[in-house]
Amino acid sequence: MEHVELFFKSIFIDNMVFATFLGMCSYLAVSKKVSTAVGLGAAVIFVLAITVPLNWLLDQYLLQPGALSWLGPEYAEYDLSFLSFIMFIATIATMVQLVEIVVEKFSPSLYNSLGIFLPLIAVNCAILGGSLFMQSREIASLGLAATYGIGSGIGWFLAILAIAAIREKIRYSNVPGPLRGLGITFIITGLMAIGFMSFGGMLTGGDEAVEEEQKTVEVVTEVDEDKKLADVSEIEKEADNTTKVVE
Amino acid sequence: MGLLSKKDSKLILDPLADNNPITIQVLGICSALAITAELEASIVMSISVLFVLGVGNVIISLIRNIIPSKIRIIVQLIVVAALVIIVDLVLKAFAYELSKTLSVFVGLIITNCIIMGRFEAFALGNGPWRSFLDGIGNAFGYGVILIIVGFFRELLGSGTLLGFPILGDPIEKTGLYAFGYENNGFMLLSPMALIVVGLIIWVQRSKNKALIED
Amino acid sequence: MEKRTDKNTYTVIFAIGMVLVVGALLAFLASTLNPMITENERLEKQKNILYALGVNENEENKAIFVSNEETPKLFKDNIFNQVVIEAKDGKIIRVLSEDEYKEENNNEEPYLIDIKKEQNNAKDGEIRKLPLFLGKNEEGQTCYVVPIRGKGLWDAIWGYISLDKNMIIHGVYFDHKGETPGLGANIKQRFFMDDFIGEHLMKDGVFKGVTIRKGNADPKNNDKTDNEVDAIAGATITGDGVTAMIKTDLKLYLSYFKNLKN
Repeated sequence: MEHVELFFKSIFIDNMVFATFLGMCSYLAVSKKVSTAVGLGAAVIFVLAITVPLNWLLDQYLLQPGALSWLGPEYAEYDLSFLSFIMFIATIATMVQLVEIVVEKFSPSLYNSLGIFLPLIAVNCAILGGSLFMQSREIASLGLAATYGIGSGIGWFLAILAIAAIREKIRYSNVPGPLRGLGITFIITGLMAIGFMSFGGMLTGGDEAVEEEQKTVEVVTEVDEDKKLADVSEIEKEADNTTKVVE
Repeated sequence: MGLLSKKDSKLILDPLADNNPITIQVLGICSALAITAELEASIVMSISVLFVLGVGNVIISLIRNIIPSKIRIIVQLIVVAALVIIVDLVLKAFAYELSKTLSVFVGLIITNCIIMGRFEAFALGNGPWRSFLDGIGNAFGYGVILIIVGFFRELLGSGTLLGFPILGDPIEKTGLYAFGYENNGFMLLSPMALIVVGLIIWVQRSKNKALIED
Repeated sequence: MEKRTDKNTYTVIFAIGMVLVVGALLAFLASTLNPMITENERLEKQKNILYALGVNENEENKAIFVSNEETPKLFKDNIFNQVVIEAKDGKIIRVLSEDEYKEENNNEEPYLIDIKKEQNNAKDGEIRKLPLFLGKNEEGQTCYVVPIRGKGLWDAIWGYISLDKNMIIHGVYFDHKGETPGLGANIKQRFFMDDFIGEHLMKDGVFKGVTIRKGNADPKNNDKTDNEVDAIAGATITGDGVTAMIKTDLKLYLSYFKNLKN
């Protein structure tokens, strides 16, 4: 269930393009034709699906404060989190380079049409964003990280597919000359993003809040018996003394 | 420009308009959308990119002949990432307040495709001096758009510029607000940045018909 | 003709060399600069706590901290006790005064307790240390500064909230690691933080927290008992994060405050 929820959440609610505006450059530049868009979208899904779990492992066993404790208790103090950017980026760049080599070998036409944007997948903020979100949202397991990676990738894929389809049709429309191409794409994307904002409402279920409040009340009644709290009055007294001194 | 030859000054001037990284080359869009709700953030980001792109372009250009082509992407990224992290660490140690303002941008700078795009398209094939100029020029071109977008979004969205109220006080109903003017909170949302950039492209291409796509 | 730089061996050697150079450079910098960075972070925590308590040099609309030089002295003068509450599964086990805590933890200052680590401890079912800083505000009233921590849109957000014993807010300081500049990042601006001053956390004897709400009917924030403050336009998720961290982290101190009143 957790997986399903995260999966759909990362596709629609947290859509990489429309909700967080990541991966815009290649999204705008390589969306002229549906076929190229599909190729790039597939590459992004692939790269995200691999790099997010991989970076999850790196984060868990290498970078987090205390992550090195599996090496022995004396390593528990190390905090390598300042390296996380560079490690994530290195993983991503390696994967992208791999994809580049594979695509060049098996589909030279796709390789040519992707042009500069294939290497740019590496700096496609969607990819690094995926890993950084994974880190900051503290995704709990390797499986969930993979689900998140694939979900975000599919979200990006859907977005570029949608805009490519629209752009193919819009050729037949009478768009003012200067707006043709890039300009109108920007504006359409803006409108689509406004549309996607409505998915955000799916996140906030009202039911949870009520439950929380009831729990709080319980806690209050339970703790009253706690005798240790007698200390509190002493601290208060101390407090008064200190202020006197200060005065 | 006595110092620069005609060819060199073209490197700086071209990206300002006719070969603008955002509106023509479609690079660095993410950051242009993310941080332009406020003019100040746009300016800070522009300056950071100016620095990283200028220095990074020179470094890449210096080592361009020894980079193995198979792993050039990794090398480029590591150069940017290391550069940014070093600056971040040094600032944290010596100018902590400044680093707090800038730390937000660290991730955005590393993933800014302008930087990679210029490494790939220019610095790998040109000498350090020309690469430096190219870096500066593109950073300026990028900054110009960022600042224009930031200007309009902050002015129309919150009625302020660089944090100073320009149009009066929306709560006390002074200045423009006395006549029933309201801030357009919509301008602060990222989709509006897309639309503002779209409009900038419209204006730019109506001025320069050569840029119109078919 | 293959270029020299296309050979596999060259690529591998170059990669190893680069990793070594960059790694060594970064590790060297990180370790040499570390003492200075820790010192800066220590000062910053003190400044944040002081800010929440109302000890700051605010001008006009800008939030300004006290200067670096004055901070340690002001902190010593204004914060007269740093209590550490130990809680497990939401229940308070014991309350330590500053001296008791320092004695047990070889002189570690309670304000340096890593909230993130403690939150993880609590998640693993271990004891969570809840620091609480007691200070006097300008009116000579005892205020309790509580650290809180949560998640915004991009990364961590945290803050300090200064309360009196009726759980009415007297000052807050919020900060963030990487919220969107101009939107979520504005939680550390005065126009947002000042809205919290005077807000009640309790409603009819039940803990409600303070909710960041869009379009509430009170943009001037005159109603201090509605448990709501006005949200920042365009920063919904960051705002929700602030709401959540106030609710979850302050809740843990509830019984302590309840006991204070009795």
